[in-house]
This record gives sequence, C-alpha cells and structure tokens, in this order.
Amino acid sequence: MSSPSICEVGSRLIQEYTTKTPQKLKLIDAYLGYIMVTGIIQFVYCCLVGTFPFNSFLSGFISTVASFVLGVCLRIQVNPANNIVFKDISVERAFADFIFAHGVLHLVVLNFIG
Amino acid sequence: MTASNKVGEPIREIAAEIGVEIDEAGTSVIDHMNYDVTDEGDHDLIVADDFTKTKVIVGDSPAPVLFKGVGMAADSDNPLVIDILKASQTAYSHSPDQDILEYPLAIGSSLLLVAGMQARNNARVVVLGSHDMISDAFYNAKTQTVMGDAKEAGNRAFASAVTDWALKRNGDLRFGAVKHNKVGEEPSDVAYRITDDAEYSITIEEMQSGKWVPFQAKDVQMEFVRIDPFVRAFLVPDAAGVFKATFKVPDVYGVFQFKVNYDRTGYTHLYSTTQVSVRPFRHTEYERFIPSAYPYYASAFSMMGGLIVFSFIFLYHQDKPKTE
Repeated sequence: MSSPSICEVGSRLIQEYTTKTPQKLKLIDAYLGYIMVTGIIQFVYCCLVGTFPFNSFLSGFISTVASFVLGVCLRIQVNPANNIVFKDISVERAFADFIFAHGVLHLVVLNFIG
Repeated sequence: MTASNKVGEPIREIAAEIGVEIDEAGTSVIDHMNYDVTDEGDHDLIVADDFTKTKVIVGDSPAPVLFKGVGMAADSDNPLVIDILKASQTAYSHSPDQDILEYPLAIGSSLLLVAGMQARNNARVVVLGSHDMISDAFYNAKTQTVMGDAKEAGNRAFASAVTDWALKRNGDLRFGAVKHNKVGEEPSDVAYRITDDAEYSITIEEMQSGKWVPFQAKDVQMEFVRIDPFVRAFLVPDAAGVFKATFKVPDVYGVFQFKVNYDRTGYTHLYSTTQVSVRPFRHTEYERFIPSAYPYYASAFSMMGGLIVFSFIFLYHQDKPKTE
C-alpha cells in the first residue's frame, strides 16, 4: 500500500478534527490560537523595535507563553479520551487549578512589567 | 634685577636659577640697524620696541625704549619665562671690541633684553639687561633711530609698568565666593541628581594699580570633572566680576568636582576646586509608563481579558443535546 502523502494526511487530520472533537475542546483550541497570535505579534514587535525595555518584553511574552501552557494542561485534563489517566480529577477540579495558576501568573506578570 | 656690561658672576648665577642665561661680562647687545643717533660708535645704544603682547606686563601700547647693556637668552621650552622685551631681528650679543669668531649666545628675537618669570607659586622676577635703561638720563631722553623720527623714550612708563607687574600691583588674581546650586533652588549640601540643571558662580577680582577691581575676561572656563571632565563651560562675567555658568549634570553618577583652572601669561594661576556628589535616580524618579512598551502592557491585559471571556464561555457551555 502506498504511504499517504502530506496533503492526504493533512486533509484527513482536518476532517477528523472538525467532526470528532467535542465542542469544549474546540473552544479551548480557539482560545489557544488567540494566545499564540498575540505572542507572535509581540515577538515580531520586539525584533523590529529592539529590546528596550527588556523586562516589559519578557513579561508580556512570558504571559502569553504561560497562558498557552496552562490552556494546554486544561485541555489535556478535560479531554474525555484521557479519562483513564485522569480518573481522580474532575473537570471542575481541572478548571479550578487552571484559574489558580492564572492568578499567580498575572500577579507576577504585572509586577515584572514595570 | 638689573645687569649691565659688567655683570658679575653672582647675578648671572641667580638669573640662571630662574631659567635666564645672561651673556658674559664684557658683551653688549649690538644692533647695526636700530641704534640711536646719540650712539658713540659701537652701535650698542639701541632702540627696542619688540614688547610682549601681554598688556598686563607692559601696558597698552608701550613706546620704544632706549637700551644699552647685556643680552639674555632663555630656553624656549621653559614655560615659565616671559619674553618681555626682545631684541630686533638684526641684533646680536657680542663684545664690541673683539672679532666675532664663534656663534654668539643669541641673535635676533631669541636675544632678550628684559626677561620675566612667574613661578608656579606665582612669585615673579624681572631681569633687565641694562642699568641705564632705568636711569634719569634715559627717562628724559628721546629715541631716534637712523631712519626714524625723534620720539619721547618710553623708558619711564615701561619701567613703571614692569615694576608694577613684578611687585604684584598689576595682574594679581584672586577668587572669592564660589556658589553652586540646582537651578531654582538655594545652595545646599544635598547631592545633585543626574540630568539636573545646575548653575555655578565664582567671583574673581584683579589687582590693577594696587586696587582690587572686578575681573573681566571672556575665556574663563569651568569643568565638571570626575577624573575626566564631563562638562566644560565658559563662565560669563557680569559687571561685578561674578562669573556664572549653567549646564546640565551628565547622565553619570559619582563624585565630581567643579574646577576652575585659569592660567594666562602675566596673570597669577587661578585654581579652584569644589567637590560634590551626583546620585542616580531614585526608584520613584524613573518614567512611569514607557511608550515603546505599550504593546507589552496591552498583551498582558488582553491575556487577562481573554481568560475571563474564556472562563465564562467554558463554564456556561452546554453540549448540544443529541438530536432525537
């Protein structure tokens, strides 16, 4: 059997994603996409304008990166397909952890952004 | 100090101590082109008018003087010796009776007739090569070179000016009050801050004919020094001799000195230094919001906003019930 080409794999991926993914996960994915776009914009701005003031750049960029990471963690814990691994952690518990971590993150970001 | 053709060794030795070499006894300054008409034949009674440009020593426009005596030479590298009266280009120093078999001590404008010296402690010495220059006969005489007209000899005025300078009745400087403060405030001991505006003033007085008068000059400078000068500004005098300058403290902190170092020919050396500290910005004195960082501020707040919106949607989201 001929191995599938990249285009075939890609279109199969998109098709399976749109049909089989629960809406909650798609919601999280949209949120993650938004975070990535703001992160990329900031990085490009820093490359163009230079690194003054470096602490503000780091703070803004790290806030996007950390939000992305926390969002990914939430998605993993909430995904029904992973229920076997995360038996003891309910959706509410995952969300509460997510919010707590975000609280700490934003506190640090506002402190460091100067 | 004066010397003549019969100058003795002690006088020559003292003059050598201050950097001026008087020619040997028996020599004279001879000038075959600038001798006075009353000269007796040796051409050693000369009319000299190559005065130094320093008005403090010789006055504003000194008249030519009569000179009959021994010449001097000074090392041109010596920064302390002042050529008060030089011989003209055609003069030389030799014994009038002997044939010239070797190079004279000095010729032309390297040959000094009157030399002065101000030491680094501001002590002054003037050496005149001629006794007759300050005699009554010469004071009352007229100068007339072979090719020129008769004029009153400037000996009296010249001697008076040079003596005033040597005795510090002319050309002595002293400074009085030194004040410095941040613009708009009273002088205080509080440290300056970087990028402050500061003003500095110093009062300088000059002795003229025995009296202290306010000093007027356009070239006094002040330096703001921390090992190297960071700021160098001209001080502008007002009528009362108060020299002022306003400048911006540099963007460097540390211990600085206000230095005024004024060294001009004929005037005493003025040196004044005042030490101050310059501190960096306090934590609250920086710019609060930096315009070039606005995108980063915006992204941080948009993360928080996005989080709130996402949480609402996530919590209140209900899966669409499966259609029957």
